[in-house]
Amino acid sequence: MFNSDMISLVGVAFWESIYMTVISSLFAYVIGLPLGLILVATDKDGIAPAPLFNQILGIIINILRSIPFLILLVAMMPFTQAIVGTVIGAKATVVVLVVAAAPFIARLVESSLKEVDRGVVEAAQSMGASPFEIMTKVLLPEAKPSLLVGSAIAMTTILGYSAMAGFCGGGGLGAVAINYGYYRSQRDVMLVMVVLLVVIVQVLQEVGMRISRGSDKRL
Amino acid sequence: MEEKEIMIRLTGIKKSFPQKKGSLEVLHGIDLDIEKGEIFGIIGLSGAGKSTLVRCINLLERPTEGQVYLDGQELTCLSEKDLRQARRSMGMIFQQFHLLMQRTALENVCFPMEIAGVKKADARKRAKELLELVGLGDRTESYPSQLSGGQKQRVAIARALATDPKILLCDEATSALDPNTTAGVLELLKDINKRLGITIVVITHEMKVIQEICNRVAIISEGKIAEMGSVENIFRNPRTKIGQELVFHEGAKREAYVGELPYCYRVVFEGGISNEPVLGRMMIDCNGVVNILSGNTRNIDQQVFGQMILQFPEEKELREKMIKYLTDRGVEVEEVDYV
Repeated sequence: MFNSDMISLVGVAFWESIYMTVISSLFAYVIGLPLGLILVATDKDGIAPAPLFNQILGIIINILRSIPFLILLVAMMPFTQAIVGTVIGAKATVVVLVVAAAPFIARLVESSLKEVDRGVVEAAQSMGASPFEIMTKVLLPEAKPSLLVGSAIAMTTILGYSAMAGFCGGGGLGAVAINYGYYRSQRDVMLVMVVLLVVIVQVLQEVGMRISRGSDKRL
Repeated sequence: MEEKEIMIRLTGIKKSFPQKKGSLEVLHGIDLDIEKGEIFGIIGLSGAGKSTLVRCINLLERPTEGQVYLDGQELTCLSEKDLRQARRSMGMIFQQFHLLMQRTALENVCFPMEIAGVKKADARKRAKELLELVGLGDRTESYPSQLSGGQKQRVAIARALATDPKILLCDEATSALDPNTTAGVLELLKDINKRLGITIVVITHEMKVIQEICNRVAIISEGKIAEMGSVENIFRNPRTKIGQELVFHEGAKREAYVGELPYCYRVVFEGGISNEPVLGRMMIDCNGVVNILSGNTRNIDQQVFGQMILQFPEEKELREKMIKYLTDRGVEVEEVDYV
């Protein structure tokens, strides 16, 4: 079943999956991290309270999060076409992954930042720190271990989404699993893809946890 | 003490917090002058509003009404930006220390200087000096999780001093520490007050802390100042119920006597008298005995005070004779109203 063509196909798919996950995670954090910070800062007990704005932002994030990924993938096709010039393949999937993951990451970041002791923030305020300084010098560094754990969760979730995109012309391991395993009923191929996905998830999770633990000075 | 200058002035401070229905007023109009260079205590039971009051001084809580002045400058009218600037001249330490857990002791002390825009090399040098000052010169690279409670509070003190503040606000700074560590931290605060001339405001619920380091004290009860004066006077003669409660607290448990024992008096011996057997002589000379309910001695500002709760005889003549005997010898006697 696994001739050399198949092996090179799997190899390409493997790297495509990694590429999609890493690139999407990066861009999703570029959007999600500031969103998470804004959510925490504008909370009614936050460092720059703006309750109405906070609620509206919260609702928008919830709406985006509640759209099923496959529907988002289809609905975004015109947008994806406009941005990367195609609606199939890894590149197109990245666009959708970023949009799907950013609100999820915003919530992950929010919950990590909320773990930071309110008293430490108060201490920084008492020293004359501005809201921006509190974000960059207190909230983010203090929440770093938790943020790293969150990023491992985010990456594994994004990897899962990327596999789902295989149904709609996305690339990577998911596409191979669907095209060979499902449409051509090559169950063994599907199984191998699933095993590879499991291995990647395990590695991402373990590495994330280790980096987090290693960076935490509370231990 | 030199010419009395006012460092902190609070006028008509009111603070209420919005609730689901209406609002809860925590401070009902507080007027307070704290002099330059003194250690001023604010004591009260929990929920009395003392923590809110100290947060009103550096405007972590904005008073609903009233003005706050620091060294003549009104803080309540400043913009957020100017207020941040002004906060650099007000250090604050907390019950739970509130150190940055992901930074070393040295980096913690550097933090306020980073915000103030001090050059990194200068900040590190100053932070090292400050950690020396608080007795942690050898722990600069330790993280807070590697330090004991007392050491954490010392780091917090060094951090609070980093921007050369005019005042240091201490919010229950020793309440999370054991008695020995508390004594060490109080000693350090006293030393800092003497050496750097910083005005210190101490918030506490423990009379011991007040006795140990404060010059003057305000007793806060239900959002108002119940009583204010020198620590010595308040201790010797607390006029209000809450004042008596706080002063007697450790020596006498009020509840134990409620409605049971009549003719109870609190007697306070001062300085030299506590070394003489005044009470024994009184009993011999007056030919009568008293019942000792409780007693202790305390050190206030290098002076020894002894206080006792005594039950005097029922016979009025003898009782009055005894009380006169004591007051003639400079012992303060005051009927205690336990009911």
